[in-house]
Amino acid sequence: MAVAQPEQRPIRLVMNDDLERNRLTVFFRLILAIPHLIWVMLWGIAAAVVAFVLWLAVLINGQAPTGLHDFVAGYLRYATHVGGYLFLAASPYPGFRGRPGYPIDLEIDPPQRQSRWTGFFRLLLALPALVLAATLGGGLFLGGSSGGSWGSAGGDGASATGAAISFTGTAAAAAFLAWFAILARGRSPRGLRDLVAFALSYSAQAGGYLFLLTGRYPTSDPTLAEKWAELPEHPVRMVVDDDLGRPRLTVLFRVLLAIPHFVWLLLWSVAVFFAAIAAWFAALVTGRVPTALHRFLAAYVRYSTHVLAYVFVIGRKFPGFTGRAGSYGIDLEIAPPERQSRWRILFRILLAIPALILNSALSGVALIVGVLGWWYALVTGRMSEGLRNLGAACLRYSAQTSAFVFLLTDRYPYAAPVLRGKAPAGPEQHPPHAYYAPPPPAQDAS
Amino acid sequence: MGVVLLWPTDVPNDLVLPRVDADAVFGEEQVERAERFESFRYVLWVLSQIALFGTLWAYTRRGAAFTRESSAGPIGTGMLLGMLGLAIVWLVALPFRIVGHWWSRRYDLSDAGYLEWLLEDWTLLGAQFLSLCLALLIVMGLARKLGDRWWLPGAAVFVAIAAAFTFLAPYIDYTTDPLEDEGLLAAAREYETELGLDEVPIHVQEVSDRTELANAYAYGFGPTKRVVFWDTILMAPFDDAEQRSVLAHELAHHSQDHLPEGIGWFAIFAVPGAFVLMLATKGRGGMGAPEAIPLALLVVAVVQLVSAPASNVITRRMEEEADWKALEVTRDPDALEGVMVDLSETSLSDPNPPGWVHLMTGTHPTPEDRVAMARVWADRDASREAPS
Repeated sequence: MAVAQPEQRPIRLVMNDDLERNRLTVFFRLILAIPHLIWVMLWGIAAAVVAFVLWLAVLINGQAPTGLHDFVAGYLRYATHVGGYLFLAASPYPGFRGRPGYPIDLEIDPPQRQSRWTGFFRLLLALPALVLAATLGGGLFLGGSSGGSWGSAGGDGASATGAAISFTGTAAAAAFLAWFAILARGRSPRGLRDLVAFALSYSAQAGGYLFLLTGRYPTSDPTLAEKWAELPEHPVRMVVDDDLGRPRLTVLFRVLLAIPHFVWLLLWSVAVFFAAIAAWFAALVTGRVPTALHRFLAAYVRYSTHVLAYVFVIGRKFPGFTGRAGSYGIDLEIAPPERQSRWRILFRILLAIPALILNSALSGVALIVGVLGWWYALVTGRMSEGLRNLGAACLRYSAQTSAFVFLLTDRYPYAAPVLRGKAPAGPEQHPPHAYYAPPPPAQDAS
Repeated sequence: MGVVLLWPTDVPNDLVLPRVDADAVFGEEQVERAERFESFRYVLWVLSQIALFGTLWAYTRRGAAFTRESSAGPIGTGMLLGMLGLAIVWLVALPFRIVGHWWSRRYDLSDAGYLEWLLEDWTLLGAQFLSLCLALLIVMGLARKLGDRWWLPGAAVFVAIAAAFTFLAPYIDYTTDPLEDEGLLAAAREYETELGLDEVPIHVQEVSDRTELANAYAYGFGPTKRVVFWDTILMAPFDDAEQRSVLAHELAHHSQDHLPEGIGWFAIFAVPGAFVLMLATKGRGGMGAPEAIPLALLVVAVVQLVSAPASNVITRRMEEEADWKALEVTRDPDALEGVMVDLSETSLSDPNPPGWVHLMTGTHPTPEDRVAMARVWADRDASREAPS
C-alpha cells in the first residue's frame, strides 16, 4: 500500500522519550499525578470559558486572538504532558505551566484564519472526533457525561461544572499493562508507549479543533505515529491494497450483508477450537505446529480479518469464504510455521492475557471506526483514509493476537497503531527521538 | 397424480354457500369501517407490487455491476447479488410499509412505535438474507456441478428443506409458552379424541403488547405437532366458545394432515418453478453464474405472483376443511360465526373483499363465506336431527 506522506498538521505531537522509567515513580504514578489532575481540571474550566470567547472571535473576525489562542494552547500542551505522565508514556514529573520541552509535547501553530461556518458548528462537527478520542482515551476526561476527552470540557465555553476526571479507553488499557511491564523491567514497552502517544496526539488534535485553535479536522491516520513509532518485523503482517470508494448501497446494508459470513465464522470457530487444542498438544511435543494445522488456523485468522474489515467498512469488497491469502484488499501475510519455545507454548493462554486485554480495547476503536466510517461512507460514497488506516492497524493487532493465541507464532503482538514505521534500531543507535525525524519513504505496508 | 391425491377434502362436494347479509351479521358500521380500512390497503398492495417489479426489472439490468464489489468467487458473489437485490426491494417497499403501518396505527390495529416496528423489520430482513443465501448456495452449487440439470435435484432439495423446517419449527420456536387455561386444555383433549389425534401441545404467544390483531396457527407434523394461540385471541371480545372453535379449527389442520399436504403441494409447484428458473436464466450463463442472480430474483417474484391464485385456492380449501371439521367436533356454528364477527372487529378484515383481491391474496375463505358455511352446517345438522 502506498501510504501518503504525513503532512504538517497545525497541532503536532513531538517525542523525546527514551523509554527508561523509574520504578518507584511508576509504582506511585497515579498518586503522584493527583496535584496535576486537580490543576488540569481547574485550567480546563478556564480554557473552556476562554474557548467560548475564541468561538465568538472566530465568528466575528474569522481568526482567534493570539493571546487567547496561546492560553488555550498552553492548556492543551499541559494536559498532554499530564496525559503522557499519567499514562506512563513519559517519565519526568511535568511542570505546572505547560512549557515546551517535556518528552511528550505538542507543537501548536499560531492562529490562522478559519471558516466562520465550520466555526459556528464546531461543537457539532467535533463530535465524531471526540467520540474517537474518547475511545482512544488519550485525553483527560473533563465533564459530567460519559466518554469524552479534552473537548468534553463543556464544549464551546459551556459550563464545566461538576467536572470529574476519569481514565478510559485504549490509552488506559495500555498504561495498565505498561505499569506491570515497567515495574518488572524498568523500561516501558515501546509499542505500548507509542500507542499512548498516538492516542494523546489524536486527542490533542480533537481538543484543538474543538477549542478553535485550528480549523483543520483531526486525522486518525496512523501516519501520525510514524514519526516516532517502529513496526518490527513480525510473522503476521497487514497488507492494505484497497481503494477508498464505497458504494452506498453496500455500505447501508453492510452488517446484514455480512450475515452469511457471521454464520460461517461461527461454524469455522467451532472447528478452530478443536484444531487449536490439537495444535497445542502437537506443538508441545514437537516444538512446532504441524503445517496442515498451521494452514487451517492461519486461514481462519485471515478470514476473520477479512470479515471484520468488511463489517467495519475498512474493506470495500464482499470477502470470500475461504480466507485465501491475497484474496482481499485488507489482507494478512502469515509466515510458515517455525520452531517455538515449548515453555511459551505451555503457558500460551496465560501469556496472551495482556494482549487480549489490549485487543479488547482496540476492538472498541475498530468498532467506533466502523460506525464513524459507515456514516462517512454513506454520505460521501468514500471511506476516510485516516479511519480506514486506523481500523486496519487495529485489525493488524487483533490478527497478531489471534495468531499468538492459536500458536501460529510465538512473537508477541505489537501494540503501536501503525501500518508502517521506522525500522527498529538497537538502543545504542536509538537516541531519544529527535523532534520530527524525517519520515521513511513511501512503501508498501507489506 | 399428486394433485389427485391431495385435492379431495372432507367438505361435502354438494355444499352450496348461500349469500349472507354482511351488514346484518357484522353490523353496517363495522362493515363500512373494515371496507374503508382494507380498500386503502388494496391500493397500497397494488402500488407496492408495481414498485417491486419495477425495481427487480431495473436490478436485472444493472445488478450485475455489483459483481465488482465481491472478492468471494462465483457463489459468494451470487449471494451478495441476491442479498443486494433483496435489500433494494426492501428499501423500495419501505415507504409502502411505513404508510401501511401508519394506517394500522390509525385504526388502532397496532401499538408498535415506528422505531420498534422498523427494528423488527430489520431483524426479519436479516433472517431473509440468511435464507436466501442458503437457497443460493444450494442452487448455485448444484448448477455449477450439474449444469442445466440442476432444477430436478434442486427442487427435491428445497422440498426436503421445507419438510425439515416444517417438522423442526416447533423445536426452534422459543417465543411461545404452554397454555395454562384448564378449560381450553380439557376441550383440546376432547377434540383430539374426536379427531383421532394424540395429545397436541397447545402454546400461547404474547403479542398483545404490540398488536390488536388476533390469530392462531398450527405447525409441525408427526411428533412435533403444535397449536399456538396469540394471546389476543384469549381475550375479549373472544368468549370461551369462540376460543374452543378456534382451537378445534387448528387441531383439524393436524387431523387432516394439512401441513404434510402443504409440503406435497409445494413439491408440485417447486419442480416446474425450478424448471422455469433454469430456462429463464440460461441466457445469462445459468444459475451457476452470479450475473444471472438479479434475473433469477425477478423470475421467482413473477412465478410467485402468477402462482398466487392457484396456491390461494389450495390453502382456502384446507381452511374450509378445518372449519368444517371444527364444526363437527364443537357442534357450535354460532361460535364460528362469533369468531368471524369478532375477527372483523379486531382485525378489520373485509367480510367480502373484491374478487381480484380474493384471487391474489385470499389465503382463507372470506369471513362472509365462513359464516355461510357455519349456517349451512347448522341447517344440515338440524335436518339430520329432525327425524329423531
